[in-house]
Parts: sequence; C-alpha cells; structure tokens
Amino acid sequence: MRRKASLVLLAFAVFFTALSPLMRFYAFPRLAKIPPSQYQEMVLEVKPATLIDYGTMKAKKVDKLTIVQTLKGNVEESDKIEKRVGKDVVVWDALVHVVGPDGKMVSQIPERYIFDAHSSEPVNAKGEMVDGKPVKREGIEFKWPFLTEKRDYAYYDARSGTTSPIHYKGTKDFRGVEVYYFEQTIPWTEVDVPNTLPVKGITPESVRKTGTKFWYTTVRKFWIEPTTGAPVYGEEIHREEMRGGTLLEGSGQDKVTAFAGHAKIRDDYVDYTVDLVSSQRVLVLLLTSYLPWGFLGLGAVLLTLSLVLEARSRRPGEPEEHSAPEPEPVNV
Amino acid sequence: MRALIAATVGLVAALALVLTMSAVGAPPGETSPKPLLTTVPEHP
Repeated sequence: MRRKASLVLLAFAVFFTALSPLMRFYAFPRLAKIPPSQYQEMVLEVKPATLIDYGTMKAKKVDKLTIVQTLKGNVEESDKIEKRVGKDVVVWDALVHVVGPDGKMVSQIPERYIFDAHSSEPVNAKGEMVDGKPVKREGIEFKWPFLTEKRDYAYYDARSGTTSPIHYKGTKDFRGVEVYYFEQTIPWTEVDVPNTLPVKGITPESVRKTGTKFWYTTVRKFWIEPTTGAPVYGEEIHREEMRGGTLLEGSGQDKVTAFAGHAKIRDDYVDYTVDLVSSQRVLVLLLTSYLPWGFLGLGAVLLTLSLVLEARSRRPGEPEEHSAPEPEPVNV
Repeated sequence: MRALIAATVGLVAALALVLTMSAVGAPPGETSPKPLLTTVPEHP
C-alpha cells in the first residue's frame, strides 16, 4: 500500500516540478497578451494653457484645456490581420479629442494603432494611420511590453511621425506601485497641418496655401508598471507653433503659439489606472512567479513524501508487502 | 521500473496540460459598443 502511495506521490511530484518551468517559459509568453477587445478612456488636463485665437491669429491664455483620449479594440479588424500575418494582433482605434474651456472642440486626431498582442511591437498592416494619413510605425506606442526592462525603448511619436528613443530614467514609487520612469524629448520638428481645425472655413488645404507651417516640440513622461508594461501615469509638456506664411501677416508676428501647456492625467483617472494596473499585475505575476515557484515547492514536498514512504516500505524488520509466504514445515 | 513509469506519467500530464492551455488561450471578446469619446466624462 505504501509503495503504491509513494508512486502516486512521485507522479504528482514530477507533474508539479515540470509544470513550474513550463508555466514560466512556455505558457507565459503565449498566454500573456493584451485582449483585442479592450476599451479604455483617459482624461488629461492642461492648467493653464496657451491657445491660438484663429480670429486674431494671436495666442491667448485659457484656464483649462481637457484632453480626452479613447482606445477601442477593434476585434473584427484584429481577426482579419491575424489571419494575414499569422500572430496575435491588437487593433486600437484611438481618438484624441481636445476640448476648450467653453466645451468646444479645439482639435481632434484619430489613429489606428496595430501591434503584436504579446510583445507590443507594431505590426505594419493596411489601415494603420494617424489623422487619416497612412503610416508605418516603428517602435512602441501607448503600451510597453510585459516584463519591461530598465533600458531605452524606441517610441513612435504620432504627431511628428518619427521614432526615437524614450529613455529609462530610474525606478520610482508611484502611489505604492514600483514603476519605471521614461522620458522622451522631441525637438522642434515641422509637422502636418491637423486635418480637423476648430474654425469653419479654415481647412488644412487653405492653411497650406498660405505657406504657414506647423512646428512642434514635446517632452513626454511615462511612469510604467514593469510587470504589465502598462502606464500608470503620464505627462506631456507640449508646444506647437504656426510659423511664416501669409496667414500670420495680419498679426505682425512671424510665429505664433498654436498650443502650449503641461498636460497631466486627471486625478480620478490616476486612481482608476493604478487600481486597474495593480489587479492586472497580479494576473501576470501568477504566471511568472506565484504559480511557477508554488509548483516547484509543491513538487519538492511531494517528492520528499514519496521518498519517505518508499523508505518506510523498505525498512528492515517490517514485512514486505509482496513478500512470499513462509514455507510451512512438512511432516513426514 | 514502476518509479520510472510514474515519473513519465507525471511529465506527460504536465506537458499535456500546458500545451492544451496555451493552444486554447483566452477568448477574444467583442468590440465594445461604446463610442470614441468627444465629450469629457465625469468620472472613470
């Protein structure tokens, strides 16, 4: 009986011990992925902000601008692209909608971001765009890979259409969560005229005809929870100017600030994001740490029990389970 | 010999479980019916 029990324990010991590395190194890279149906909204505020008045073509100060960013997973599109490229893909339709203090739209930029569900690397496929223009991204955007490393990453800047490093600047504590802090500076760069402008009658084409150019610079800051690769907080010091051309002739300046301000995530969204990322972190840790180490420990305990039972079943002085019966004396 | 068989059974069961889990994966879900926002939400 003891021998049977020790064999069963041995089978379970091998089962759990084998499960430990298989879970971490085989299952985790395949199971940890961003769901294609994710829907997420984020609100950032700029207090105060500088904004162009298209009536006078002069910059004016406003108390507050609000940036509403929505990311919506497009499951149908990701299915189509997955079939073509043969890997798990996420398609995010995103909209950055900027609202002025009067509640009216200031600018609106749609995006379609296509990326690998496991590595967060961009997947170049038909439909990828920023503000209606087809693009071919290089580098991550919005989301870092699972198990983010303490190093620089190539990051895609949608406004300028360029990729440059976003630098790892240290590990910090953000509201009780250990995060990696990243920062990227985009130097003054000429950018396209936005497709959606807030004043009727002014179109991108009419602005281009005046010879006036849009220039932009930004400092982008992200606080990334490294296990999930998800941002728990972000800030952007953004500055945009209109330069030259006949559009500015009346203002008496050769350049005017179109937008300037320091955007920060609204406090209630910071709390919401920290809670969300903390719960997701536990799921990732289950696959990378809790279950593999737990299984390894359980395997060791079961192996020890199995060996103890086996040793007891062989102890001298105790009858062997399957020993042959003693021969009886034969009377002649 | 019986110990070897028991160990093999454990190993094969672990491989089968992990391969099945990885092959099945998580369901993709559906595209959210919620729109891309053009108004400021009151709260998350």
